[in-house]
Amino acid sequence: MIPIQHFLVLSSILFSLGIYGVLARRSAVLILMSVELMLQAVSINFIAFAVYLAPEEFTGLIFAIFVITVAAAEVGLALAIVLRIYRNKATANVDEVDIMKW
Amino acid sequence: MGMDDAWLLPAVPAAAFAALLLFGKYLPRKGDWLAIGAIAASFALFIPVLADLLDEVGREGFAGVVSGTDWVEFDTFNLRLGFMVDQLAIVMLAVVTFVSTLIEIYSVGYMKGDPRYGWFFTAMTLFVTAMITLVLADNLLLLYVAWEGVGFCSYLLIGFWHERRSAAEAAKKAFITTRIGDVGLLIGIILLWREAGTFSIREIIEFAQDGGYSAEYLTTAVLFVFAGAVGKSAQFPLHVWLPDAMEGPTPVSALIHAATMVVAGVYLVARMMPLFVVADPVALDVVTAIGLTTVMLSATMAIVATDIKRVVAYSTMNSLGLMMVALGAHSVTAALFYLFVHGFFKALLFMGAGSVIHGTERQEVWELGGLARKMPLTALAFAVGTLAMIGIFPFSGFWAKDEIVNVAADELAWIVVAFLVFSIFLTAVYMTRLYLLVFTGRPRDDHAHEHAHEAPPVMSLPVLVLAALAVIAGFWAFDQVGRALGFPGGIGEFVFLDEAQEFAFPVVAAISSSLAAVGGMAFAYALWFGEAEQARQLGERFRPLYKLWKNRYYFDDAYQWAINNLVLVGGNVIAWFDRNVVNDTGVDGSAGLAVFSGFQMKFSQTGRLPNYALAIVMGVIILAIVFLAVRV
Repeated sequence: MIPIQHFLVLSSILFSLGIYGVLARRSAVLILMSVELMLQAVSINFIAFAVYLAPEEFTGLIFAIFVITVAAAEVGLALAIVLRIYRNKATANVDEVDIMKW
Repeated sequence: MGMDDAWLLPAVPAAAFAALLLFGKYLPRKGDWLAIGAIAASFALFIPVLADLLDEVGREGFAGVVSGTDWVEFDTFNLRLGFMVDQLAIVMLAVVTFVSTLIEIYSVGYMKGDPRYGWFFTAMTLFVTAMITLVLADNLLLLYVAWEGVGFCSYLLIGFWHERRSAAEAAKKAFITTRIGDVGLLIGIILLWREAGTFSIREIIEFAQDGGYSAEYLTTAVLFVFAGAVGKSAQFPLHVWLPDAMEGPTPVSALIHAATMVVAGVYLVARMMPLFVVADPVALDVVTAIGLTTVMLSATMAIVATDIKRVVAYSTMNSLGLMMVALGAHSVTAALFYLFVHGFFKALLFMGAGSVIHGTERQEVWELGGLARKMPLTALAFAVGTLAMIGIFPFSGFWAKDEIVNVAADELAWIVVAFLVFSIFLTAVYMTRLYLLVFTGRPRDDHAHEHAHEAPPVMSLPVLVLAALAVIAGFWAFDQVGRALGFPGGIGEFVFLDEAQEFAFPVVAAISSSLAAVGGMAFAYALWFGEAEQARQLGERFRPLYKLWKNRYYFDDAYQWAINNLVLVGGNVIAWFDRNVVNDTGVDGSAGLAVFSGFQMKFSQTGRLPNYALAIVMGVIILAIVFLAVRV
């Protein structure tokens, strides 16, 4: 059986890639995709721990499904916002959007 | 119906007060019959209580009957609605209920046609309720509640004609001045309670007699209690309110400022007398000194006062001072005996003065004169009251005043006795002067004299009853009279501190006080009879003294100065501190700081998503590092 460390390293790499994407990208759509990467890293952790620590229970698996559901909803919402911003500002570059301040 | 049912005495007027307050104006005659009926019922209920007490009083070790219920229970003490009937309370009740009944009847005539006729009777009923409760209270807390109730009613009634600025001012003055003493009383009660753990008067006295308090502690406590009596009984230096309180309607002056309320202070000291005896002797010396000072101040001020009611008010102060001197000689008997007869003749004097004011609509003695022919009944009654106040044999005041001189001669320094005899002389001077100026001589104001008429029967009948009592009440001093009425003997064998005393009559005291009284009358006759020319010359010759008395020893001016320059200035400083430091800096300042810092810090918000994202990530990293560091 593959040791759990492998899964944890994988999820860490994915999570770090996601953080890097969120911080480095300028396109709102790419940032959203990076956020998805982070969410999936969390899901991997959930599943790995579920299988290795309590194989007879489904708690972790159910959480993973919840994460996927929430992620889908979140992406739907976020894409809608991005679309509205694009309509108004003709750009999806987050550096050029600063309407969130006072 | 016995002593256990004593709660009915205040309960009946209390119920009448509630009814009058709610439905008074819908009742026929504004409900005056209800007020009078309730107080008369209170007097009627007093009689079986007295009879029951007389049955019991001969029993060995009788010390009053306590009844009532617990009102509010706390962990450490019970607040009781408790009533105690003993000899002291009975004497007070006799005066309060009887004189109140007569005065309420008198008020029907005096207050006739007043726009607030109904309210007058309502407030009077509340006053009587509070006074009876005060007398019957078996614990200090209930006593204090009633004490304040009495003060509040006095405020209402002095300011009864509050459209008149002077009346409103007088009401405020009375309330605030007595309140200074009341704070002292409250402190005294708390001090007594702190050590004894009970408010019950009887238990506190037992506690003190068992040596529960240290001498200094008890002395401090009783002096604070005495401060309350000083305020309520208009003793020096809180006496300034009583003369001004004459702004109220005359029946109020008669009821409150003569017969009942002002003697509450005397009653309180008499009730607490066992504590004063246990305490350091200096406590009783203070009582004597304050009482004697009051006597001398009031007697001299009365000589130059020109308002008929004011003179009688000063004579009240004089009497109260005498009672305090008697208490200073720890003679509850003498004080209560004087209180008892004083209730009758002082109410009589006030009601006589009220009849004069009612008949002439004048109060200044220099506008009156020669009224004896127009108002013979009033003049007769007033003469009886005057003679009783002066203490001429065999009027009631003679016996009572004699008793005080006796105990003072036995217990106090000779200088006190000398001052007492001199005060009797002064009393004779100013009371005779008042009578001469009002009822004899030539009318000074023809219009007032034309207008003068005898009071209606509803007013003159109570006056005559009181006049009869002012003559005979003093005979209670005799053991034979007391026994004939069912008492164990004279008042000395009924009301006493430690042991009953038989009636004693030292001739020296009687002769010296009578000589002083007659001398004073003769002196006043020489000065003021007729045109009062000699009095004017004397006043001119002793101009500074005249001015000193006329200006009431400048007490009012001194107090006004203190209020203007100390109280109000101090108040302004505190108000400035409150406005500028507490409000503007403390309260508004902290809110302003939040607004200001929020305004300044909002500029750190860029509104750019990457900045926030970076901040979140950095925050998580820092938290992780801290978490690791703390874990390790």
